[in-house]
Amino acid sequence: MEEKHITGEHLTAFASGLLEKGYILISEAPDGTGFTAVKDGASVNMNTAARPTKASFKQQVFPKTEPVFHFHKTVDDVLLFDPLPHTQKTVVFGARPCDAKSISIMRKVFNWDYKDEFFNARADNTVVIGTLCKYSDETCFCTSVGLSPSSTDGSDLFLVPLDDGGYAVKVVTEKGQQFVSENPALFGEAKAGADAVAATHPGPAQKFDAAQVRTWISQNFDHPHWAELGQTCLGCAQCAFSCPVCHCFDIVDEPDSFLEGRRMKNWDACQGGMFTKHASGHNPRDDQGKRYRQRVSHKFSYYPERFGEILCTGCGRCTRGCVVGVDIGEIAAGIAGLA
Amino acid sequence: MPSLQHVVKDLLASGAVEVVIGYEKAPGQNRTRPFFARTPEDADRLVFDFSALNNLAVYLTRQKRPAKGKIGIVAKGCDARAITMLMQEQQLTRDDVHVIGMECSGVTAEMGADLSKDTLAAKCVTCKVQTPPLADTLVEGPKDYERPDDRNGARMRELEAMTPEQRFAFWAGEFDRCVRCYACRQACPMCYCEQCVAEKNQPQWIETSATLRGNIAWNVIRAFHLGGRCVGCNECERACPADIPLGLLNRKLGMVAGQEFGYAAGMDASAPTLVGTWDKSDRQEYIK
Amino acid sequence: MKMPTSTWNPKIVAFVCNWCTYTGADLAGTSRLKQEPNARLIRVPCTGRIDPVFVIKAFESGADGVLISGCHPADCHYNTGNYHARRRWTLFHNLLDFVGIDSSRLHFSWVSASEGKKWVTVVDGVIDEIRARGPFERYQKANSEFALPPALFEAAAKEVQQHA
Repeated sequence: MEEKHITGEHLTAFASGLLEKGYILISEAPDGTGFTAVKDGASVNMNTAARPTKASFKQQVFPKTEPVFHFHKTVDDVLLFDPLPHTQKTVVFGARPCDAKSISIMRKVFNWDYKDEFFNARADNTVVIGTLCKYSDETCFCTSVGLSPSSTDGSDLFLVPLDDGGYAVKVVTEKGQQFVSENPALFGEAKAGADAVAATHPGPAQKFDAAQVRTWISQNFDHPHWAELGQTCLGCAQCAFSCPVCHCFDIVDEPDSFLEGRRMKNWDACQGGMFTKHASGHNPRDDQGKRYRQRVSHKFSYYPERFGEILCTGCGRCTRGCVVGVDIGEIAAGIAGLA
Repeated sequence: MPSLQHVVKDLLASGAVEVVIGYEKAPGQNRTRPFFARTPEDADRLVFDFSALNNLAVYLTRQKRPAKGKIGIVAKGCDARAITMLMQEQQLTRDDVHVIGMECSGVTAEMGADLSKDTLAAKCVTCKVQTPPLADTLVEGPKDYERPDDRNGARMRELEAMTPEQRFAFWAGEFDRCVRCYACRQACPMCYCEQCVAEKNQPQWIETSATLRGNIAWNVIRAFHLGGRCVGCNECERACPADIPLGLLNRKLGMVAGQEFGYAAGMDASAPTLVGTWDKSDRQEYIK
Repeated sequence: MKMPTSTWNPKIVAFVCNWCTYTGADLAGTSRLKQEPNARLIRVPCTGRIDPVFVIKAFESGADGVLISGCHPADCHYNTGNYHARRRWTLFHNLLDFVGIDSSRLHFSWVSASEGKKWVTVVDGVIDEIRARGPFERYQKANSEFALPPALFEAAAKEVQQHA
């Protein structure tokens, strides 16, 4: 992998240059709610020692709500209008590895049989500049799902802050290479030190072996352990909504009047009681234990089985936000213990 | 003075209750989480301190009850008000529960922090029920604590001083982040409807999509449905993944209930609910 | 498809009870009293039937103002419907004010079956006030967040006309 160096001032200039070219730049909001657009190059948030924001940048590629088409009824017909295709180029600046990885995980399910043009248009127009993560708490477990604070997986460029105030730049993809080529004056020759910095941030200790978890889940669909897990869960689904890779959606028609409206694609989550409720009233996942089994199984067993990726980046958001303290890292570790 | 563990052990051993809903320490962490003690041995796992954030009354609502028989529940003052409110609304009878009231000296705003003036939860700043108003067994404990300035009160006055345009802009900015997960509803002990108005679709009153229009409708109606019922436990705000200050809306309606009707939710199990009754002398200056 | 109009007239949605205000408004009509035509009346059995989601829905549907009216206290056809409603309104209008939908957009009145004249005064007053305040732009901006993009609007309008 090619490596470059960029000074702090040049990074600001690089960001400003992107804004001038019409890119939207998003980075972690200082108030910790989520990713927001920055107005100037100097406001890009590169501080990864702080706690990750409550929301990831999932909305950038998979908005919480978006129109699939607009409809209008006439006397004898229903007219459909496509929304304008998404063409806005966006750079995610300073994503931690656990967020950066999300697009490549979701890309697999959105291109499995049906190609989701909405997701793809957004993902193709998004460039991810990842950065070394300096934060870790008891809810983090990136090291248990094949990532680390310095993992470049999912980033187009990856920055490692060096002691001189500049950054080591790892050029991960074509998209990243293009940025470097376009700005020869800003990216200099690589300097040593990135490995030493990465070594001082090993991240959280490994909590479980994901392969063990996967094996146990695939053999224990009816284990009583699942019912125990669902006991205190309130089914609030904040875990799924704050997850960088949860990608379930619902399709709803939203009328403006009797004649016109639009069909919307909205986030949905397996933890809600309505998620699998049939029109007949029957619900195959009729209690929280079954719903929690689905969540854990999908993340650690079904998705890896089908797509070769764990549907979890170990960011810890679900645990941090859970009002009743359900800890998915602890649960996976518990399952690994049963294996 | 009997300890919490002692009380629970007795209750479970004698068969007086089937389960006790309490708090346990999350292993290796500076936080607690809800725990259902079903055997006398389980009682030893129960703890109670400043990290007992949850309003456990949410587990007394019909869909979430952990047992069919009598339930014991560990309750702070604010939680006891929620239990009382459930009784006021005929969701519980006095005999359904054994309330283990805990005297409380405040909890932290977020999981994981140590208790100090700065980390004290906003609801504790103005709390008047350090001793639970409803309890079958009272476990005494410290109930004095240093209270910081009422930050939320100041925020409310700031909002009230704005023009309607500015207030609308403020709330539109907040509601815009709503992702419609309904975590606020699920975490709320007073949101026990079998089918929520947000999930009715024939006709559909509240837009399902997380558009600004739908988000305004949902958040306004959620707050209104808790008018005169909210006991201020603030679990909705804590559950919100978008950090929307829902507590301010609830507090506004709580203030209106207090000022206009001299009413506080969940203080008296035999009192009628605020909107379930009326009085000829209710004020009506705003009606032409 | 909504066509842009050059002259603006306020849209008022009035939720009125069947027994008093609707009859009062009817009396205003049969008495040939002159009133502004901007209020759309929605008749409900009782003010107690008016769920606050109706008000939200009215604003979502483009209302610039909402008027709620029913029987005077002690006059309710069902004895206590308006007393119950009054409590809810006290909470609701305070909540709406707190989120920036102030009292110039949401009005309440008691108008009995014999008060045709009062109905005209109330309606005209509400319309005047809202006319002075202008369209409820801040809510309508929220309503049109996902409207058909302007680039597609004209082509769509043309196609719709062809099918009309």
